[in-house]
Amino acid sequence: MAFVELDKLTKRYGKLTVVNAVDLAIEKGKLVCLLGPSGCGKTTTLRLVAGFVQPSDGQIRVGGRVVSSPHASEPPEARNMSMIFQSYALWPHMTVFENIAYGLRLRRMGKADIQAKTGRILQATKLESLAERYPGELSGGQQQRVSLARALVIEPETLLLDEPLSNLDANLREEMRFEIRRLHDEFRYTTVYVTHDQTEAMTAADVIVVMNQGNVEQAGSPEDIYERPRSEFVAQFIGGTNIFKGKRVGTDTVDCGNGLLLRCGSGDYAANGQTAVSVRHHDLHLTNEKPKGDPSNWATGKVVRQVYLGSHRDYLVNLSGGETVRAIAPVDVAVPENQQIWLHCPPDRCRALAH
Amino acid sequence: MSSPATSPYPWADRRLIRRRRIKLRGDQVTIAALSPDTANRRHLGRFDLSTPLFVLLAVVLCVLVLLPLFWLGYYALTNKAGSPTLANLARLFTDATIRRAFLISLGMAGCVGVFSCLVATPLAWLVARTDMPGQRLVRSLVTASFVTPPFLGAIAWAMLAAPNSGILNNIYRWAFGLDQSQALFNIYTFTGLVFAVTCYSFPFVFTLVANAFDKVPSDLEEASAILGGKPGTTLRRVTLPMVLPAMLAGSLVAIVQAFTMFGSPAILALPAGFHVLTTKIWSFFQFPPRLDLAAASAVPLLVVTMLLLWGQRWLLGRRGYTVLGGKSGTPRRVKLGNWKWLAGAYVLFILCVTILFPYLALLKVALTHNISEPLSWSSLTLHNFNFVLFEFSSTRLAIWNTLILGLATATIATGIALVVSYLVARRAVPGASLLGMLATAPIAIPGIVLGVGLFLAYANPTFGLYGTLWILLIAFLTIELPAGYQQLSSAFHGVHPELEEASRILGATRLKTLWQITAPLLRTSLIAAWCFVFIGTIRELSATVLLTTAQTKLVSVIIYDLNESGDYGAISVLGILLLVVSFTVVFIANKVPVLGGAAPRSGS
Repeated sequence: MAFVELDKLTKRYGKLTVVNAVDLAIEKGKLVCLLGPSGCGKTTTLRLVAGFVQPSDGQIRVGGRVVSSPHASEPPEARNMSMIFQSYALWPHMTVFENIAYGLRLRRMGKADIQAKTGRILQATKLESLAERYPGELSGGQQQRVSLARALVIEPETLLLDEPLSNLDANLREEMRFEIRRLHDEFRYTTVYVTHDQTEAMTAADVIVVMNQGNVEQAGSPEDIYERPRSEFVAQFIGGTNIFKGKRVGTDTVDCGNGLLLRCGSGDYAANGQTAVSVRHHDLHLTNEKPKGDPSNWATGKVVRQVYLGSHRDYLVNLSGGETVRAIAPVDVAVPENQQIWLHCPPDRCRALAH
Repeated sequence: MSSPATSPYPWADRRLIRRRRIKLRGDQVTIAALSPDTANRRHLGRFDLSTPLFVLLAVVLCVLVLLPLFWLGYYALTNKAGSPTLANLARLFTDATIRRAFLISLGMAGCVGVFSCLVATPLAWLVARTDMPGQRLVRSLVTASFVTPPFLGAIAWAMLAAPNSGILNNIYRWAFGLDQSQALFNIYTFTGLVFAVTCYSFPFVFTLVANAFDKVPSDLEEASAILGGKPGTTLRRVTLPMVLPAMLAGSLVAIVQAFTMFGSPAILALPAGFHVLTTKIWSFFQFPPRLDLAAASAVPLLVVTMLLLWGQRWLLGRRGYTVLGGKSGTPRRVKLGNWKWLAGAYVLFILCVTILFPYLALLKVALTHNISEPLSWSSLTLHNFNFVLFEFSSTRLAIWNTLILGLATATIATGIALVVSYLVARRAVPGASLLGMLATAPIAIPGIVLGVGLFLAYANPTFGLYGTLWILLIAFLTIELPAGYQQLSSAFHGVHPELEEASRILGATRLKTLWQITAPLLRTSLIAAWCFVFIGTIRELSATVLLTTAQTKLVSVIIYDLNESGDYGAISVLGILLLVVSFTVVFIANKVPVLGGAAPRSGS
């Protein structure tokens, strides 16, 4: 049985539904990422799990016991969870050591135990030399590590992270992504991680849950989400993609109008025939020459923008049907702007999307 | 403590049992209290006290604020037999003396508002937007005139500008060799009253307008300059309109202050032979008491005050004003050049009139036998100090009472304000904003109105609080609560809620978090609020004057009584004492060591 279970979890503020009947089961020891654009309800979901927000409907169970329901909720302090906040929320009037030891002191632990445990976590997070500093005297990355240490030292049943890296600069963010994964592998707490950054999610997560407008769009492993998106939103949000709208003709072919027929290697087709096809930017192959043979999965258009980015070239192509698509090509495929070009979408890279 | 039965601590058992009972009420949560793997959690999660605390606070605030208002309304609307009547309110219109007092109050307050604005705006502009030297000093000196109790300022000006004995008039007669019938100033007039009240009301306008000037983004002015606006045009067309709401709001505060003030009119208007509304209400308490008329006269005072404050909130809350919240770049400063001499003279004049002259007058009178005695080394005496501190029996009691009430009020009001502002700022319980409204409401209740209400509510045989310090404590708590509450609730905006949530999720209850995290982070604001309340309490006169008896005299009332008997020497000593204590408190508050290592930062 899953350790943390969200069951039809719903949160409404007045008429606005922020979290809409979310079902989610998190196995013990797994790291789950809630991923979505701002306002998608991911942070509210996390705060529901933490107990800072009470659900309007549905319930949350942890280890089989109900911790949140519309009638009764355990307060946050009774949940044996810990949380890492977007602002780190380090108490400026306490030293690093005091910050970390706070949770242990609340648990009435002996002095020696507190020393030992805090010492161990300081070591694990490489903070030994900073124990007597105040948070105001630390760099952003160090503050982040203190906040991690403070959350981990109490050995929580569940660890919650709320956009923990969004206040760091790019280099540090990359480093901390791996650090979080490393610490998770070391301590194996059941973890819920909220982010809007897909790279962060893909680095850290065992399971990614993509949310949009209060709903779960798709949940799965990072590979699942990227390779086998089930909706236009997921395909767009994770990795970016070109969407062709069309009608299903035959078993696996979608007619996108203006003679563009796309054979799809995978995906779901909508019942009423309206189907979208997603082709990732780097799966569109460009060529100067008019193709011969089977015309399906080929399109033609005019280059409207071409940018040299060192490792690749980024193309914007205006198709004859009027759509604009983006394609990423190797550096040696150099086509000047305004020139006609042909694009090939290999069938196994075309994914049909029912919605 | 794995199970209650084997625990060596009986108190722990009780707590566990209580907790379990609470758990059992929520049906699904039962398992949580019993399953063995939650033993660790069990001692952590204590019962959350915020709901009972909320109820308690709501009751306390209701009693403090609503009960006196209820009795006020009751007395205003009933006759002696207790049956409802509009006769008392009708007297407001038919009785020419009340009508006249009301109109004079309005006129006086209006003049004070206009003059405060006219005096304070140039001053605020000079310190905020020009290169005039000594800006910090001017700011702190103007703030210092906040500390001067207005009634003390009025007495000091009576010493300076009374037609016969006034020091300035004496100097004038001496300089020009005139006889006793000539006088340059007469403070015992309507004009004199407006002047004396303006001296201690304009800092309200100054503070608001100076803040607004500080916040006008410099790029707005630069935008005007780049489009060809000369500095004068920019000031007139861009900067001044941006601070206009602050000017109006500040003037409204000054008007409210003047309108509800008891001390200065009682000191200056009564000898001049006219009443304002507050002194009229007070006169209804003199023999023979007319409580019904006092209650009825308090109604227009209350209503007008509420309207004015409502107008002020509306002005400050308007969208146009909130633009000022964002600050971009340092404010541009206008170079004064040779105008700085004129500016300096202006500032000096204001500081002399509001601070220097009155303080010197107090000092002079305190150190000589007689107010009109010329100052020389031989005329210096400590006679007045000796009289006040050792001979005059009622002062020691009054000083003692004032200190006790000051300490008690400051501590209790700060405590209540802290909890209320926490509950409101964090929306900790449903209906918390109601508590905030109750805690702010007394700001709209003039001191003398509250005095009437409290007298009616607690002087009756049921409570029998008249003549005790309790009734004064209740009065001061009610009067000072808004100041403490506003101070702390704005401080809460500087503390990121996540700092508290981090403590909760690690296992601390709300109250524990408030005590261990929030209170230390708010330390500076807490101390400031405490000092505000303390200083406000020891100088309160308008409610006190209705509620004291011989046994519960306070320093402010003694000063007022001594003024009636014309004992200026003793007044000066007590006034200096009051000022010294106030300034010491302000000084200590500013010198309290800030928290070790790091100043409170919001998160980052």
